[in-house]
Amino acid sequence: MASNSASETSSNDSSALKEPEKPQSQTLRLPTAEEIQGQEIWNNCAVRSVFSGVVGGGFGIFMGLLLGAMDNPIMQDQMTGKQQFIHTAKQMGQRSWHSAKAFAVMGLVFSAAECVVEKARAKHDTTNTVIAGCVTGGTMSARGGPKAACAGCAGFAAFSVVIEKILESHS
Amino acid sequence: MAAANNVPTGVDKEQIFGMAEKEMEYRVELFNKLTNTCFNKCVEKKYKESELNMGENSCIDRCVSKYWQVNSLIGQLLGSGRPPM
Repeated sequence: MASNSASETSSNDSSALKEPEKPQSQTLRLPTAEEIQGQEIWNNCAVRSVFSGVVGGGFGIFMGLLLGAMDNPIMQDQMTGKQQFIHTAKQMGQRSWHSAKAFAVMGLVFSAAECVVEKARAKHDTTNTVIAGCVTGGTMSARGGPKAACAGCAGFAAFSVVIEKILESHS
Repeated sequence: MAAANNVPTGVDKEQIFGMAEKEMEYRVELFNKLTNTCFNKCVEKKYKESELNMGENSCIDRCVSKYWQVNSLIGQLLGSGRPPM
């Protein structure tokens, strides 16, 4: 290592006239067709929304397990330890499946709405997040009637804007 | 025509080279103007990430397609030799 660096410095001094060594400039390399295709896949709205749905489902499973585990402290003397364990496990499973579905739908709808809106507007704004959040909140609480849908829209839009600002400030 | 093209004289060669140079300059300038216009129109000045996001992508698609269409249209109008509108 020392000998290499010594030979480098000696050749640098002789060739570059004691200038600092400039990095080699590389010719502009255009992306290949496969690279473009790989990037274009991520621009597709369907692929993005499915991916978000899957991620939402995973998150929902995790949340369901957490909440299901904390939910019922069953202190029945009649059930043995093993039966308590099985009961708790079933509870956790049900809870996690339910919440996985909910979060997956939420992620899918939000991502699809944001993708479509951003492609249509051709701009990258927080307005896209607001509109997508409103659509998601509205569809999720559409069963409660128009008032609940409006409240859900506003609430989820505000929530998603907050999350977006947090993510922006972090990365 | 083909026989004449097979044995070009010295003047014709120069003409051809000159025309090819002009064409190349025109193309290069067209490309540079296109990229500058669409970059200034579509990409925000504040760089938040290194990759183009979807909004910028679709904006660039639209900008380039409009620019190209207008450019070819104007080229046709100028080239057809009609009196200007």
